[in-house]
Amino acid sequence: MIKRFLYSQKVAPYVFVLPFVLVFLVFWIYPLGSSVTMSFQKITLGQDAQWVGLDNYTKLLGDKIFLKAVMNSAVYMLCTLLILIPLPMLLAVLINNKFMWGREFFKSSLFFPALTSVVVAGTVFRLMFGEMDSSLINSFLGWFGIEPVKFLKGQVTGFIALLALATWRWLGVNMLYFLSGLKSIPDDFYEAASIDGASAWQKFRMITMPLLKPTTIYVLTISIYAGLAMFIESLMLWNGNNSPKNIGLTIVGYLYRQGIEKSNLGYAAAVGIVLLVLAMTINMIQLAFSGLFKKED
Amino acid sequence: MIKKGFIVLTLCALLLALAGCGKSTSSSATGAAGEKSVIDAGAGENATELSYWTFVELHGKFFEDMLAKWNEKNPDRQIKLNVTVMPYDDMHNKLSIALQTGTGAPDIADIEIGKFPDFLKGTPQLESLNDVIEPYKDTIVPSQLDLYSKDGQVYGATTHVGASVAFYNTEILDEAGVDYKTIETWDDFKKAGMQVYEKTGKYMGTADTSANWQTSMMLAQQKSDYTDASGKPQINSPEMLKGLTVLKDLQDNNVIATIAGGQPDTEEAYGEFNSGNYATAFMPLWEMSRYTNYMPDLKGKIAIGPIPVIEKGMPRSYGGGGTGTVVTKTAKDVQLAKEFVAYAKLSEEGNIAIWDTLGFDPVNMAVWDMEDVTHNPDNEFVQYFENNPFDVLNEIKDEIQLIKSTEASPTINNVLNTVTLNEIFEDGKDIKQALDDAQAQVEQDLQ
Amino acid sequence: MKKEAALNMKESSTIRVRKELPLKILLLVLFVLLCGLILIPFYAIALASFKPGEELIRYGLNLKFDLSVMSLSNYTYLFTGEHAYFTWFFNSLLLTVVQVALTLIVSATVAYGFSAYEFKGKNFLFICVLLIMMVPFEILLLPLYTLIFNLHLMNTYSAIVLPGIASAATIFFFRQYLSGIPKEIIAAGRVDGASEYGIYLRLILPIMKPSFAAMAILNGMNSWNNFLWPFMVLSDERKYTLPIGLKTLLTPYGNNYDLLIVGSFFSIIPIFILFVAFQKYFIDGMTAGAVKG
Repeated sequence: MIKRFLYSQKVAPYVFVLPFVLVFLVFWIYPLGSSVTMSFQKITLGQDAQWVGLDNYTKLLGDKIFLKAVMNSAVYMLCTLLILIPLPMLLAVLINNKFMWGREFFKSSLFFPALTSVVVAGTVFRLMFGEMDSSLINSFLGWFGIEPVKFLKGQVTGFIALLALATWRWLGVNMLYFLSGLKSIPDDFYEAASIDGASAWQKFRMITMPLLKPTTIYVLTISIYAGLAMFIESLMLWNGNNSPKNIGLTIVGYLYRQGIEKSNLGYAAAVGIVLLVLAMTINMIQLAFSGLFKKED
Repeated sequence: MIKKGFIVLTLCALLLALAGCGKSTSSSATGAAGEKSVIDAGAGENATELSYWTFVELHGKFFEDMLAKWNEKNPDRQIKLNVTVMPYDDMHNKLSIALQTGTGAPDIADIEIGKFPDFLKGTPQLESLNDVIEPYKDTIVPSQLDLYSKDGQVYGATTHVGASVAFYNTEILDEAGVDYKTIETWDDFKKAGMQVYEKTGKYMGTADTSANWQTSMMLAQQKSDYTDASGKPQINSPEMLKGLTVLKDLQDNNVIATIAGGQPDTEEAYGEFNSGNYATAFMPLWEMSRYTNYMPDLKGKIAIGPIPVIEKGMPRSYGGGGTGTVVTKTAKDVQLAKEFVAYAKLSEEGNIAIWDTLGFDPVNMAVWDMEDVTHNPDNEFVQYFENNPFDVLNEIKDEIQLIKSTEASPTINNVLNTVTLNEIFEDGKDIKQALDDAQAQVEQDLQ
Repeated sequence: MKKEAALNMKESSTIRVRKELPLKILLLVLFVLLCGLILIPFYAIALASFKPGEELIRYGLNLKFDLSVMSLSNYTYLFTGEHAYFTWFFNSLLLTVVQVALTLIVSATVAYGFSAYEFKGKNFLFICVLLIMMVPFEILLLPLYTLIFNLHLMNTYSAIVLPGIASAATIFFFRQYLSGIPKEIIAAGRVDGASEYGIYLRLILPIMKPSFAAMAILNGMNSWNNFLWPFMVLSDERKYTLPIGLKTLLTPYGNNYDLLIVGSFFSIIPIFILFVAFQKYFIDGMTAGAVKG
């Protein structure tokens, strides 16, 4: 009996994938389902949940602070896309250049910030962007005769700090993604182009960019999720979830505030569902545009 | 390969060393943040171990003192205390979750007054302290008990009155030729402040954006509050407008200015004050302990005086801040925990210790008149400040107002301290408009 | 070499040298500047670790090199003081090792199931794997939280390890890797009379070894720096991991910056050593997902 079980090729695959199925059901499907359920309820812990229909969602629509959080997350995501795709791509092409000295060293140095925890990195950036004239960024501005800036109290300057942190941590990682994409482009393409007399820019436009497309799509996809779901960066940069005028509040931050800080679990669940729908929609549109589905047909 | 092996070996060695260190750190003293320390305070083998969460490191020190006294008095009911210090927000969040889910809560915890109403929602998962408070009830200002009560049950043992006063840096004032004793009204303060700014280039005070001590102080002077008699928020009341207009005018004349950290009770602001960049802080009396602990450079330079008022004759103080120590429903030994909390915080010995170790104004006002306690030359607070705080406290004793703590308070505080005050003092938004917006926001949040 | 030759076909070698040198220098200068910029925060925190915390609070983090305020006292405190830093450090280490080991074993097993067999529901299940990679974990925080509570796993390391034990990204990577392993090995194993599980344990796992390094590092990094979820489920300070512990130091009511900065700096050191030693695997691990797009 045991032997038959051990040798059965029919049973074996299910045994192998069983852990995944269990984890998937228990830690993904069930919570996802209960998240949807909760979003239609008013939940006071210690008491029975109450069905409230779409109340949470209609309330969300009129909730200025929630809209602010959505704006912040969306703007943050867009900015990270605008910075953290072209710049690393350019750097990857440059560093991949045959004229490059010390390639490995620079690769590692640029990657290194990704190894620090957000807790540490966020705190360091908070102190660097401190409003005292002697803190790092302000003393740097001081050399150019610029008055100290209260970075973390203004919407735009706050975002500059936030984006500086994101760029610092992810520049090197994204560059590595593009580098590995570049490696898969055969040299023959460039040779042929050279023979045809193509300039460096033409080669970049006609060969590098199109062939980096799969990598770009990958980076785009993960950046959209990371951007929309950003929270800890803001939490650490403002040393708490209550940034002045909510300039650093993100969707997940609002979920945390409502769910954990204010114990409005139902309302917070609705925030989570909105985030899920938002992220899914944006990425579907993005993937449709980049023609990923077509390719698979 | 050899190189790799070497690195692995070094790492292993490092790990072992760390493991060793990890074990050696279990001894304890006062419970610095980040340390789980067991205070045994002379407790014997059979002592009950109770856990205690707080967000202020010094409170652990205080409990250590009181525990020693308790254990001496009650040899058959000794206690060991496990102190955990966490940041303000995290501690309250974790406590709230632990209480709602019924697991992981400590036996005893500190809850700040601003958050207290959140813990009273529905059926409070806290033990009523009525029976253990009874013996001390007559000695305590009744309003201090009301702050932590619901439906006639007291859930938190109060810590201090928190009478608000002005802390003047006399070194700066002397330099500008200003005598703080002559300041009685905001007009006086404004004149003095303009002189200070002109002579020294320093600001007379702070325009707070991340805490509403100043707003409360202004409301108290006008005998108003954030909520009306029925508990409904009234953020855009004429008194709010008046108070903030006075402050805004001070800011416009370079008398007060915003500060790093947004208010005097933040680490950034400690640095600014310590460096002598601001001359005055209007804070509850407990700010004294921040001076002695975090602003060592100012020793001997700080004088305490009553807060200026809009018009002479208005009350010059209000009770600000506060911490209620609670016993949770899941506590190991509820009765023991309750009795210890009441003893530590409400007994006469406790009240004396609250002044001695914490520098707080005790709720047992009889202590305010104990000359040997309040003027003890060995007391670090007496030594630090130019004048004796109790001389001021006794002067304003009958003027101390109360700002109510209601179910709407946490929301009101949050809106004011994250949005409204920033808009007014950082962005120069129209005060009336900012207050109307705040009122709308609070009403929406409370729905 | 081929590429180099091709790119410069038209140019004579003498011109090439003259043209190359300025370009090389330009590139070098650019990257040196960039790296300088990137490394500033590390330098700043290294510098600050020698200064008293009070200095930091008063003047912010800066690059002032002032020997008069610098000392080793923070380090003395770190190694001899009474605090829980090394408890957290050890917890982080333990949790990382356990989490990585379990995740790798479970994920590799699942990946093998996907790659070696044809079975009903395979495609559907694999789409589920991809789907997981697409759902932001954050939206599950609250229901997961109540679930962990109902399972009585609050304040345990199981609560941290279990939800991530079959890591989608890791399964995906292993499956890609296994698709390069010839099926003949499996067939040969069956001929030799090995059971299905014996084949996996004795024949496949040893072949997979190289791919484990990259995934170990990727998962290790995530685990070492993981914050939000552990922060929500752990309430006992003795169980805190390093990031959580360091965050507890961010309170105004205690002179904690001495420990915070030196502790933050010190927390980077082990990763730095690992990184220097296993650089290649780090980079492989990070880029593993991107290769196939």
